[in-house]
Amino acid sequence: MKTQLAMVVDSSLCIDCKGCMAACKVENKVPEGHWRNWIKNDGVDFSMGETFSRMHFQPGNCMHCDVPTCVHACPTGATYKDEKDGVVKVDERLCIGCGSCIPACPYGARYRHPVKKIVDKCDFCDHRRARGELPACVITCPTKARAFGDINDPDSDVSRMLKDNKTVRVVNRESDTRPNIYYMGATAPLNWPVRAQAPTPIRWWGDWAKQLVWAVVGINALGVLAMLGKQLFVNDPEPGHESDSTDGGKPVETEETDHE
Amino acid sequence: MSDEQSIQKDDAEEKEQMERHTKLSIFMHWFNAACWLFLLATGIGLIRNADLQPVGGWWTDMMRGIFGGGANLLLVHEIVGILWTLVFLVYVIAKAKEVVPFLKEVFTIDPKRDVLWLVNKGIQMTLGYKALYKLDGILKGRFGYKPVIPDQGFYNVGQKMFAIPSILGGVVIVVTGAIMTASNVMLENTAPVQWAILIHFLTVGFVFAGLLIHVYMASIAAGERPAFISMFTGKVPQDYAMHHHKLWYDEVREGR
Repeated sequence: MKTQLAMVVDSSLCIDCKGCMAACKVENKVPEGHWRNWIKNDGVDFSMGETFSRMHFQPGNCMHCDVPTCVHACPTGATYKDEKDGVVKVDERLCIGCGSCIPACPYGARYRHPVKKIVDKCDFCDHRRARGELPACVITCPTKARAFGDINDPDSDVSRMLKDNKTVRVVNRESDTRPNIYYMGATAPLNWPVRAQAPTPIRWWGDWAKQLVWAVVGINALGVLAMLGKQLFVNDPEPGHESDSTDGGKPVETEETDHE
Repeated sequence: MSDEQSIQKDDAEEKEQMERHTKLSIFMHWFNAACWLFLLATGIGLIRNADLQPVGGWWTDMMRGIFGGGANLLLVHEIVGILWTLVFLVYVIAKAKEVVPFLKEVFTIDPKRDVLWLVNKGIQMTLGYKALYKLDGILKGRFGYKPVIPDQGFYNVGQKMFAIPSILGGVVIVVTGAIMTASNVMLENTAPVQWAILIHFLTVGFVFAGLLIHVYMASIAAGERPAFISMFTGKVPQDYAMHHHKLWYDEVREGR
């Protein structure tokens, strides 16, 4: 079975220390004002009184979905799901920075790099994995809330965790992208992913622009075929020649010397 | 000059040639053709998304195979696009004396004459001359219809119908291409980039549709061989000019 790198997160272990966010930012040189990962929370629960207030934290990042709507929104294929490890990546040289993929992600996992002016996102620390190291967020987490590995390898930690525990995935009802971050037991908040939608021009292109171009090209091709057919198979001698300077045209039946 | 004299004179001059294109404009035509085909092939290869790809994924695979990946394909597309634009910019500025009259000729339409030409030439090239008489029999002179193919100038209106969208489309293609190229260099707002992609695609598609007719007319259509040859030699025979571009022929003859 193909490798699919994934995370299994026990969000009840998360203490919101922001270690994963800081580690990622340093490791991947994420510019000011942007993040490749996050810790969400469900707000403070005061139902047990102020003394026993509680809050649930939910770490996350790009979910490297099985149905990546971001990949589907990219015209050039600069954003692609790597067959080798199941990770959704960006080919920086092929990305023209059109940003079509950004609203196509339900999780807001993408941003346009303010200096490179191309899209940037979590790649499960591709460069660290190439050296045999874990992603920065995983290795940094002090409570080991994030587990990482190949869920298609039955011997991996994440596979065993998935097998032995009930897990949930956080999805938008209208855009189930089949994400590859699993949360152990239950997690919160759940209502934050948005509906994935490519920008209007990209949708119009697939909805009617491609068909319109084919229709126009097709009509002209039919015109060419009609002219070719007539030229090859119909004997249609020219009755006169076409010119007459006095009235800007001459009835074709007029007899006159043919100049051809 | 009486008709008889003129016919005799024409006969004598039949094989004489008329200057139609300068060497530079011939070069620009073929440079444009080469750039267009290269940019068309590589541009379609830049579309990976199956919903948007008009030809098929095999084309994308083939183009990326030839150029060693999508990133290199994008780079050569951008380089050739910039070269195409710069050469045309230099041409238009340096040779304004050649370009301005060309544009003036191309954008001048004589509605009454030209609509009749478009209708009748279209019918003649597909259904034949007989269909013109039939139509005349039906219309009986209504809408000012006559079964004639009116005389045309340096370009006939069919050529203008391709030249006008090609020129305006070329400007649109260059502007949208520039927006996309500038996107990851200097642009902050991505909305114009997204629209530029769609408009670039549509415009290329429409001009390509016209190109089918242009290529047919130039390379296959009956009686158009001298025009094709003139795109290399710059000259057309006088009888061809008189037959196909009577108004231009008269202008040259009258020394205007």
